[in-house]
Amino acid sequence: MSDQKAIEVRGLYKDYGGVHAVQGVDLQVDAGEILSLLGPNGAGKTTTLSMLSCLLTPTRGDALVMGHSIRSDSMAVKAAIGVVPQDIALYPDLSARENLVFWGKMYGLRGATLKQRVDEVLQTIGLSDRQKGAVSKFSGGMKRRLNIGIGLLHRPQVLFLDEPTVGIDPQSRRSILDSVKELNRQGMTVLYTTHYMEEAQELSNHIAIMDQGKVIAYGTHEELVKIVGGLDRIDLTISVPLTTKDESAQVLDAWRAAEGVRKVSAENGHVTLLVDDSNQALPRLFEAAANAGVRITGVEVREPNLEAVFLHLTGRALRE
Amino acid sequence: MRILDLTLKDLTQVLRDRKALLFLVAMPIVFTLFFSLIFGSQGGTRDARLPVGFANDDSSSPLSTHLLALLQDSDAVRPVILDNKQAAKAGLSVRDGKLAAAVSVLQGFGAATLAGQPAPVSVIAATNDPAGETASNAIDAAMTRLLGSVQIARSSAQSYEKLKPFVSAAERQAYLEQALSMTSNAWRDPPLSVLVESATAQTSHVRTAQDNTDQSSAGSIVQFTIYGLIMSAGVLVLERKSGALQRLLTTTLRRWEVLAGHALAMLLVVLFQEVVLIGFGQLFMHVDYARQPLAIGLVSVALALWVVSLGMLIGALSKGEEQVIMWSLLAMFVFAAMGGAWFSLEFTSKTFSAIGHLTPTAWAMDGFQNVILRGLGVHSVLQPVGIILAYAAATFGLAVWRFKFE
Amino acid sequence: MKMWDIALKDLVRSFRSAFAVTMMFVAPLLMTAIFYFALGGLASGSGLSVPATEVQVVNLDRPAPQFENFALGKMLTEFLQSDALQGVVHATAASDGASAREAVNQRMAGVAIILPENLTKALLSAEGRASITLIQDPTLSLGPGIVKGIISQFVDGYTGARIAANVFAAQARERGIQVDVATAQDVALQYGMWASASAQNRNNGQNPAIELQAPPSKSAATNQRALLAGLIMAGMMIFFTFFTAAAAAETILTEDEQGTLARLFTTATPRTIILAGKFAGVVMLVLVQVVVLVLVSGRAFGIYWGDAMTVTLLCVGMVLLASGFGVFIMSFIKNTRQTGTVMGGGLTISGMLGGLFTTGFQNLPRAYEVINLFTPHGWALRGWKTALAGGGVSDVLPTVLVMLGLGAVFFAIGALLFRKRFA
Repeated sequence: MSDQKAIEVRGLYKDYGGVHAVQGVDLQVDAGEILSLLGPNGAGKTTTLSMLSCLLTPTRGDALVMGHSIRSDSMAVKAAIGVVPQDIALYPDLSARENLVFWGKMYGLRGATLKQRVDEVLQTIGLSDRQKGAVSKFSGGMKRRLNIGIGLLHRPQVLFLDEPTVGIDPQSRRSILDSVKELNRQGMTVLYTTHYMEEAQELSNHIAIMDQGKVIAYGTHEELVKIVGGLDRIDLTISVPLTTKDESAQVLDAWRAAEGVRKVSAENGHVTLLVDDSNQALPRLFEAAANAGVRITGVEVREPNLEAVFLHLTGRALRE
Repeated sequence: MRILDLTLKDLTQVLRDRKALLFLVAMPIVFTLFFSLIFGSQGGTRDARLPVGFANDDSSSPLSTHLLALLQDSDAVRPVILDNKQAAKAGLSVRDGKLAAAVSVLQGFGAATLAGQPAPVSVIAATNDPAGETASNAIDAAMTRLLGSVQIARSSAQSYEKLKPFVSAAERQAYLEQALSMTSNAWRDPPLSVLVESATAQTSHVRTAQDNTDQSSAGSIVQFTIYGLIMSAGVLVLERKSGALQRLLTTTLRRWEVLAGHALAMLLVVLFQEVVLIGFGQLFMHVDYARQPLAIGLVSVALALWVVSLGMLIGALSKGEEQVIMWSLLAMFVFAAMGGAWFSLEFTSKTFSAIGHLTPTAWAMDGFQNVILRGLGVHSVLQPVGIILAYAAATFGLAVWRFKFE
Repeated sequence: MKMWDIALKDLVRSFRSAFAVTMMFVAPLLMTAIFYFALGGLASGSGLSVPATEVQVVNLDRPAPQFENFALGKMLTEFLQSDALQGVVHATAASDGASAREAVNQRMAGVAIILPENLTKALLSAEGRASITLIQDPTLSLGPGIVKGIISQFVDGYTGARIAANVFAAQARERGIQVDVATAQDVALQYGMWASASAQNRNNGQNPAIELQAPPSKSAATNQRALLAGLIMAGMMIFFTFFTAAAAAETILTEDEQGTLARLFTTATPRTIILAGKFAGVVMLVLVQVVVLVLVSGRAFGIYWGDAMTVTLLCVGMVLLASGFGVFIMSFIKNTRQTGTVMGGGLTISGMLGGLFTTGFQNLPRAYEVINLFTPHGWALRGWKTALAGGGVSDVLPTVLVMLGLGAVFFAIGALLFRKRFA
C-alpha cells in the first residue's frame, strides 16, 4: 500500500427530509488497500457509496477520490472508479458479451482495446463459455459475476462493491471473494460494503463499522476486536422462542443482572452475550434459565469478533 | 366453495386497482360516446348527407333552381351554395375532403337545355373515392331527373305546337316553364312509388342510410367485451409470476378449480362491463335492448364466457405480461374486425363474410342484431348462443390442457 | 459517440422483443390487411364490389288485356332476373308475400319485393296510383339500397312516360284543346325512348349532361380499395407509431427501475448525453418503423402515398412529433406501473379524438374534424390524408411545419422534465 490516499471522506452528510441517512462520515482509504464498510441494513453504507460514486449529492461535506472532489470534479471521479451495485444492473435481453461491450463503451473503451478487455474480463469472471447466452437465462451467481465484471472493464483505480455476495450460493461467494483479493493484489483499491462480518474480516486491511449513518468504529480487525478487550462471547440456543413478553423479560433481565455479564442481545431462539469470563458466567446463566423455566439447548463460546464489537458498541446484533 | 373464495379474492384485487376500474368502466363509455357522436343518435338533427358544392352562374334560369331543388331532395347529398371565391377553390375542397363533389352550372345552361342543345354541367368529384362516387351518382340522378323534366316539357310543347302553333317565342317559353313546373310537382307525388319496409317482427321501422346506432352499439358491446381478454389473461400470468399460483397448487385445490375460480371472477367483471354498455346503449343511444332482456342476456353471457375462456387460453400460453398484451390485442383486433363489430360483413366479399362467420363474434353480432334490428325473440338467439357456448367450452378445455402450472 | 451507442443498444433490444416487433409492424399491417381483404380481395382492382343481393319477387300484378296483355310486373320481374343484373341481384319468384317476408326473416333473402295487383292498371290509367313494397333485412343497408335504386330507375322510366302524357294533356286542356289517347301516348312514347337512350348511355358510363373532372392532384389516381386501404393504414400507422414512441421512452423508466440507468450515471458519461442517447433511440426506432410501414404497405396494398419529397417530409414530421410526444407523456410518469394506463388508455383515447379510428368513414361531423386538430395525431393524419388525396409538397408543408413545431415543444418539455429528474 502506498502513502497516497485513494479516498478521503470529510464530514459527509446526507439527509432526506427528516431522515439522516449519513451523519458526518470521515474515512480514509490508502491506495491499494481494501476497506470494508460493515454494518446492518439501513446503516448508511449504500448511501455513502452512492455519494462517493457521484450518484447522490451530499447534503454537507465532501470526499476526494484519487484526488478529485466528488462535488466539483465528478467526471474525473467516475473515470477513476468502477462500481458494482447491490442490485444487479444488467440488460437481461442482451448476452453477457453484449452487456460487456456496451458498458465498455460507456467507460470509454473502443475497438481492439474493448474487444481484448471484454475477453479478459470474461475470463476473469469465468463466463467465457456463456458469453453469447442471454443474461435472463443466467443463474443468480452468474449474474453477480457479470455484474462485477462490468465494473472491472476499464481497469479502474478504485472499485466500489456494494454487498456483492447477497443471496448467492457459497461457491459463487467464494469465487467473488477470491476475485476481490486478486484484484487488490494487482493494485486496485477496493471499498467493499457488507453486513457479513466474515467477509469484512477476511478481505479487509481496515474496517469501518457503520450504524445509523455514522462510523462508530474504525481500524484493523485486531484493533477493533481489542475494543471488546478480554470479553468472551457466548452464543446460546434456547428451547422456546421467547414469544411471550413475560418470559423473555424474565430470563433476559436475569441474565443482564447476572454478575460478569456485560451485554445481552436476543433474536428468536438465539441469544448472544458478552461476559468477562465464560467459565464463571455459564453456571449463572444456566441457573437463571432454570429458574425461568427456559431450557438452554446449545452453548458456544467464541473468541471476540466483529459481531461482538458491534454488539458492544450498539447493544444490538449485527444481523438484527 | 374454495372456487368462490378464489373468485372473491380476484374481485377484491380488481376493485382495489383504480387503473383496472378506469379501464372497466370509463373506457367503454368514452368509446361508446365517441361512436354515438360520430354516427349521431336516432332523431338527431345533423344532416349526415354528403356535402356537394353548388356554384350557379345561371341563376336567372329556372332550370338551375330546379337542379338545386333536386339536390336538396336527395337522400345521399346536400347542396352547399358556393360564392365566386369558394367556387374557384372547389377543386381543392373536393380534394381535401371538405366537399364530396362540386357542381358548376355555367351561364346559359338553362336556355341551351330548354332549346335542346347540349349544355353539360361541370362536376368535380373523385370517383376513385367512395364518397365521390356516391356524390357523383346522386348528381347524375338529379341531372337525369332534370333532363327528363326538360324532355317532357319539350315533348309537350312540340306536340301542342302540332295542334296549335305558338304565337310568339314568349308564349312558347311560358308553355315550357309551365310544363317544367307541372312535371316537377308530378314527380313529387309519382303515380308509381317504392315503399321500403324493414322486416322487423315488432314495427315497420324504416332504417335510413345514416341510422347506424344499432350496429355501432352492438359493435361496441362486442368490441369491449373482447377487451376483457387482457384482464382475463393477465390475472393468470400475474398469479404465476408472483408465485401465488404455485402456492395454490400446494393446497388440495385441483388445477381446474384454480382456473375456474379465476374464470368466474373475470366472467363477473366482463358481465358488469356488458351491463354498463347495454344500459348506456338503452338510455343514451335509444337502442331497444330492454324489449327482450332474456335474449340479450343469453347472448351477453355466452359472449362473456367465450371471451373469458379465450383469455384463460392466452394466459395459459403466455410467458409474461407483454405476451399477454400482444396476443390479447391481436385477438381483439382480428375477432372484432372479422366478426362485424367494426363494419358490417355486408360490405365485405363473400369469402371474407364466410370466414368472418366462423368467429364467435359474428354469431354474437347476429344474436344482438336479431333482437334489436329484426325485432325477434329468444328463439332467434338460441343458435348463436349455442355456437358461442361451444366455442367457449372448446377454448376453456384447451386452456386447462395447455396451462403451464410450473 | 456514446449517445449513439446508447441509442443503438436500445434499438437492438427493441428488435429482439417479439412484443415490440408485433406492435410496430405486425399489428398495423394486419389491421389494414383485414380491411383490405374484407373489401373484395386483391384480385379485382377497380371499385368496391359487393356480393349480389338475394331477392324474392312476388308478382301480384295483373296484365292489361286492352294493351296486348302488357304487364309491368312481369317486365320488372324479368328485368331483375336478367343476365345484366346477375352480378348485383339474384332474383327468384316467390308465391306470396308471407313466404317472401319469411325468407327475409330467415336470412335466405336480403330483400322481398311485392308488386301489387294494380301496378299495370295504375300505370295505364290517368289517375291510378300503386306502390311497390320493398321489405328489407334490417341488418343490411348496401344491398337493399342497390335494389331500391334499380327498381326506382326502372319504374321511373314508366312513371316519366305517364307524367309526360298527363302534363301534355293538362296543358292542352287548359288551353281549350282535348287531346286524344293516341296523341298522349305519343308523348309518353317519346319520353320512353328518351329515357331508354339515357339509361343506355349511363350504363355505358357516359352522361353527356355532365362533364366530370377529377380534383387537382399531383399524384396518379389509385383505385378505391387502395385509397381506402391508404386511409386505414394512415390511421393505424399513426396510432402504432405513437405507441412505439411512448414504449421506447418508457425504457428510461424501466432502466431506472432496473438499476442500469444509475449504473450509466456512474460512468464518465455526462447525464445529458445519456438522456440524449435514450431520446435518440426513440427517434431512430420510430423512424425505422415509419419507413418500413410506408414501404411495405405501399407494395402490399397498392397504396400510393405520394411523391418522394412529400412522403419524406411527412415521415420526418411524424417521427419527430411522435417521438416528442412519447418523451413528453413519459416524463410525467413516476414508474412503469403507471404506464399501462397511459399507453393502453391515454394513447387510445387521444388516437380516437385524433380521428385515427374513423379514417375510412366519410362525412364526419365538422366539429369532430376540429377536435382532431387538438391532438398531435390529428395533425399527422391531416398530413397523410392530404398526400393520399394527391397533395404535393406545398400542400403538406404547412401541416408538416405544425408537426415539427409541436414535436419540438413536446420534446423540449419532456427532455426538461427528465433532465430535472435525473440530471
